[in-house]
Amino acid sequence: MKLIVMFLEAHQPRRLSNFRYQDIGIRENYFWDEKNKEIIKRISQNSYIPTLSLLKDYSVPITLSFSGILLEQLWKYEPTVPDLLKEYFKASGGEMAIESYYHSLSSIWNPERFLNEVRKDMDIKKEIYDKDFRTLRNTEMIYSDKIDEIVNQLNVKNILTEGTDSIISKYNPNFIYKTPFGHNIFLRNYRLSDDISFRFSNREWNEYPLFSEKYLNWLSNSPGDLINLFMDFETFGEHQRKETGIFEFLEAFIERAKDYNLKFATVNEAAESITPRGQISIKEYISWADIPRDMSAWLGNELQKDLFEILKSLEKCIPEEIYNYLLTSDHLYYVSLGTTPDITVHSYFNPYGSAYDAYINFRNILEDLRLRYCNGN
Amino acid sequence: MKSVGVLGWELPPFFAGGLGIHTLNLFSILGKILDITLYIPKFTDKDIHYNFKVKMVNYDPVGSPYERNKEFYQKVMDYNEILINEFDKDHDIIHMHDWITVPAGIKLKEKYRKKLVFTVHSTEYDRSGWFYPQERILKIEKEGMMAADRIIAVSHYTKKIISEKFSINPAKVTVIHNGVKSSLFSSFNKNYDLKNKVLYFGRVTPQKGSKFFIEAAYKVNKYIPSAEFIVAGEGDQLNEIKNFSKSLGLENTVNFYGFVSESESVRLYLDSDVFILPAVSEPFGMTVIESLSVGTPAIISKTTGVGEALNNVLKADFWDTDKIANYIIAVLKYRKLRETLGNFGKLEASRFSWENTALKTLEVYNSL
Repeated sequence: MKLIVMFLEAHQPRRLSNFRYQDIGIRENYFWDEKNKEIIKRISQNSYIPTLSLLKDYSVPITLSFSGILLEQLWKYEPTVPDLLKEYFKASGGEMAIESYYHSLSSIWNPERFLNEVRKDMDIKKEIYDKDFRTLRNTEMIYSDKIDEIVNQLNVKNILTEGTDSIISKYNPNFIYKTPFGHNIFLRNYRLSDDISFRFSNREWNEYPLFSEKYLNWLSNSPGDLINLFMDFETFGEHQRKETGIFEFLEAFIERAKDYNLKFATVNEAAESITPRGQISIKEYISWADIPRDMSAWLGNELQKDLFEILKSLEKCIPEEIYNYLLTSDHLYYVSLGTTPDITVHSYFNPYGSAYDAYINFRNILEDLRLRYCNGN
Repeated sequence: MKSVGVLGWELPPFFAGGLGIHTLNLFSILGKILDITLYIPKFTDKDIHYNFKVKMVNYDPVGSPYERNKEFYQKVMDYNEILINEFDKDHDIIHMHDWITVPAGIKLKEKYRKKLVFTVHSTEYDRSGWFYPQERILKIEKEGMMAADRIIAVSHYTKKIISEKFSINPAKVTVIHNGVKSSLFSSFNKNYDLKNKVLYFGRVTPQKGSKFFIEAAYKVNKYIPSAEFIVAGEGDQLNEIKNFSKSLGLENTVNFYGFVSESESVRLYLDSDVFILPAVSEPFGMTVIESLSVGTPAIISKTTGVGEALNNVLKADFWDTDKIANYIIAVLKYRKLRETLGNFGKLEASRFSWENTALKTLEVYNSL
């Protein structure tokens, strides 16, 4: 029986406030918490609550991750969601993945900081759900052999990443592989994942409308041991609104899977029942973002690199309780100037209007912090 | 070959306003494939060669279409009267430009039963800065729009004004952006070392928002006292703006350069860190494209038409001088921002060409 390994990533940054140069030295509220609250509440209603309730009702085992900074904001603004998460895990045997607590890029520049973030995420999730979770999903699926090596210091068993074009030209993403350090590696089947997350409600798509029978047929005809469907949690109800029929689709998909000889399993369950097909080595950083599937969504232009360099240089002097929240990758993502199709996705998420506004904002905040805490150095 | 009679007002090298630049560039290209005759007031006795026929109407214009006085209105009416008599009835299409050629255009259409095209470079609302627009001119514009078979607007911004303020069916209006003489502006390699200069280049009028430029200068000055603010251009409001600047104590910060020629303007763009156009209502804004073509970043108002086609500029409400000041400071302080806005802006500006404008204008002619 082929397995459906569904992984849903829930994450919301703590967005930075609109901070003008004239605010430097005067204002101290760097975070746009009013907006953050509004977004958390909206997405909870549109997506987290209805989706988790549905998954709980069907007791379907899948793997989820809620980033540390999202959990913090949920406790503050919408505590029903963490409670519902608990109920879901109890009902279904679902799995929580671990990740960098602040959804940062620390894995590519500061192994120490990265390990601390992952440990913090592990600890907090263990404390809440009373379970050791051993599946790692780094920020935005960022991965290379270097990360495999770093996480070897942790009690991690499985790693999730993107099945990029160059990888899947050699390795069918519908199998499990081993990393150089012996972790199980799961490659996202991006075509089948994006059929739901990007294309589901696209009327221009020649497969529109997508019904569960057709989709389950594709899955059952796709050769291999498992199908890795990794996507944003917010796909359900937020990116694809309930009016698109996404919840009806999800229900039918879960209910009818067995008719197609398909079974839902968590990442960890899959790793226990399937034998890996050899080793994969990935030298350059890959991710699941944008068309290039590399680091360019965050570090693709001079503005982003400038911010990142300044941010790194101020590590020692900015207080950690502020600094950690500045590391969240979204702040750099908003500054992407990308290519046309990606720009549409970027501007959908951008709360500042333009990449330039996002840059100026973040840069002004860093300038304020530099003057305030780093003696202007 | 289709014959087009173009009703114009100005033509470089004389009276080189935006309308003149548009006329020269557009019809130099269309003149190669169509039989174009441009009618303009007689501004010289010299014989100047153009890529299209020029018929000088025996009338001394003395004045610019941007003037806003009584004498000017009467002159326009006189010019239009003479224009009707000198017009060659064999043209297939009559193409008028702005209200200053509308009275003749309408009468010629009635007289010869020809197709009428109306390019709206600006409306009375824009030129007045939405402050007491002259009713009689609004009336002429509306009549021109009603009589025209097709209207060309220089931006979607202007198309919106045409449909919403003049109640014209938007289906009749085609948006065609202006071009830029790329060879003149884009052949330089801008360096992004700080020059500490902020440029305003355009007529000094309420429409262009020069007052907001001075306000922003005042706000930036508190943070960067060494930055120089340049006002290049003349206009009705020049004295008022000079006094305003003085009253804010900006004698050593804001410098007035007066009239600047096209070739001098290239140097000015190059030597400035950023170009500002805080226009209250600017149908297009050719200077924005010029500045970007040189590689100089631009900060423009949201009510500047060309902004609708640009991602790599900074946009603010014209009245929001706190935000404009924040942008100016950021561009002056952060080199990477200057470089990126400049490089990407230049790339984006290269998409604007008079060939495109001509091609789309030709499509409008062919649709008649």
